[in-house]
Amino acid sequence: MTIYSLWIFDRHCNCIFDREWTLKSNQASGTTNSKQNEDTAKLIYGMVFSLRSIAQKLSRNESRNEIRTIATGKYRAHILCTATGLWFVILSDLKQEDLSHVLRYIYSEIYVNYVANNWLGPIDFAETEQEKRGQGTRKITNRNFVRGIEQFLSPMVTR
Amino acid sequence: METGQPTEITEQQRAQLQFQLFQESLPKVSTSVFRMLLNEMVPLSVAVEDKVGENPGGQHETSSKNDLEEAIASNLSLKPCIDPPSHKLIAEYAVADEDKRLRIKARLNSMGLQIGKKLSELLIFSNNPNLNFKDMDLLTVMKFICRDVWRQMFGKQIDNLKTNHRGTFYLFDYDYRPIQCLALDGDVSDLELNMIDPYLEIPCGIIKGVLLSLGFDAKDQVSCEATVVDLPDTKTGELGSFPKGISFNVQVLLQ
Amino acid sequence: MSSGSGNVQNGPAVSTSSKKSLRVFSDDIWKNKTAKINAELFTLTYGSIVSQLCTDFQRDFNKVNDQLFAMGYNIGLRLIEDFLARTALPRCDTLVKTSEVISKCAFKIFLNMTPQVSNWSNNKDVFSLILDENPLSDFVELPMDASKELWYSNILCGVLKGAMEMVQLDCDVWFVSDVLRGDQHSEIRVKLNRILKDEIPAGED
Repeated sequence: MTIYSLWIFDRHCNCIFDREWTLKSNQASGTTNSKQNEDTAKLIYGMVFSLRSIAQKLSRNESRNEIRTIATGKYRAHILCTATGLWFVILSDLKQEDLSHVLRYIYSEIYVNYVANNWLGPIDFAETEQEKRGQGTRKITNRNFVRGIEQFLSPMVTR
Repeated sequence: METGQPTEITEQQRAQLQFQLFQESLPKVSTSVFRMLLNEMVPLSVAVEDKVGENPGGQHETSSKNDLEEAIASNLSLKPCIDPPSHKLIAEYAVADEDKRLRIKARLNSMGLQIGKKLSELLIFSNNPNLNFKDMDLLTVMKFICRDVWRQMFGKQIDNLKTNHRGTFYLFDYDYRPIQCLALDGDVSDLELNMIDPYLEIPCGIIKGVLLSLGFDAKDQVSCEATVVDLPDTKTGELGSFPKGISFNVQVLLQ
Repeated sequence: MSSGSGNVQNGPAVSTSSKKSLRVFSDDIWKNKTAKINAELFTLTYGSIVSQLCTDFQRDFNKVNDQLFAMGYNIGLRLIEDFLARTALPRCDTLVKTSEVISKCAFKIFLNMTPQVSNWSNNKDVFSLILDENPLSDFVELPMDASKELWYSNILCGVLKGAMEMVQLDCDVWFVSDVLRGDQHSEIRVKLNRILKDEIPAGED
């Protein structure tokens, strides 16, 4: 299994965290919260947004029809959407069919502990109307969260 | 085979077990709501200061009036007053002047004091076989704080207790729970230490409250303040733990 | 990523349609997956906060009510993530379902109580939570001057307001009665004003 990147979007359509690994041989390589990734983030957001809308439309019955994975010729995107409008997206190779447990761990153990329970940092990353609707640039940068993600995901980058 | 000692232990054990069962049978709530309540006490104290302090923020008043008019004009439901987000209020404390900080800390200390008083009553009436409050000397009281009070409040004991046996005590907590999830970016900065500073005031009040309710209640007999200390070598580098320890310095004037 | 095949699966982690399953589901979380503390400790801590506010606002109980609400609101914004992480519940389709989740699941796994849902308005946009027990106010007695104006547990309204706002439910939440004031029971009223629209990126509409 190889994980290529992790993306987190908030309910304001903003990418609030991104981590991309470039070299399999070096787990510390790549970028965190990189400005270069802004465009990619927007594309990933758009892709999930569109497929999510389609899935919602396809399901006629009452229960929700959440999108979970999307596969292409080379990649698989794994998606977790929370009721609060957070989207956690991991891009991996095709070998791993389901990373939902990994996404759930990131949300419930790392995000909840180090973002929701970090009273020194925000829970809402858009401070003004101008920072909503995909126009915000604030990121999760606190040390506990960044290290928590690193420690949890790095071993999976090359496995 | 020895016969005397085992029965003695068994009796003590039985009392222990009974106490434990009794504790388990008491009504419970989730630890996370309790932790959140404690966490929010700090921003609460800042928000209150902004409303009742020396210079209650004139800006807040006018802006809320505007909001009100806006709400009425747009025929929306009335918005109850909501404070700035918690992290903004804590940041406000960190850059406030000394007087304002002292008033905020006094408020937290006073809440801690009340918690301490009530908590020691609660523990006294809990029939804990380990506790005997008759003829309790100061050192025993401090041990009671380090073990029982801390365990109730923070789910752990104080890591190290030092004393000069003349009324000065240092209680070291290398894993002070309320700040473990708190962090800014990168290494710990002065700003971050200023932001966690008010979080140390609640237990100072608690310690004082416990001592007060156990007879050390003369005016200004007890003082307590907290300082940030380096972690011992064995404790550093754990993920998601605050990279500093706390020392609660307690001074009790002996009559 | 030029081509993509959608792999769409169905089904939330728990069906909220059956009342019984939600109860069993919540009981299991409370019994097996929740760290707990003595409720008395919680009660006395909250009591210390309320009493401090009464002093700070010089017994202007309306201000105390507002402050407790504001405190709860800020907690609710964060608590909802903890709640969703524990339960993995999806958004509710109707306010009726929301009310069930609040009473049988949220109150259960945080405070180990299950308020009754009742007093629905005709068009199902307002309901009440009847609190038979309340760990915030156990053994509390209000002084005379407070018993007409103070909503002692008003923090609960703020928490509900904040938490529901995060799942796009704009609600008003307020106490209409409290046993501490001598009322028959304690009742919280919840009124849905509107369902907030999910944001879409600027320029997409």
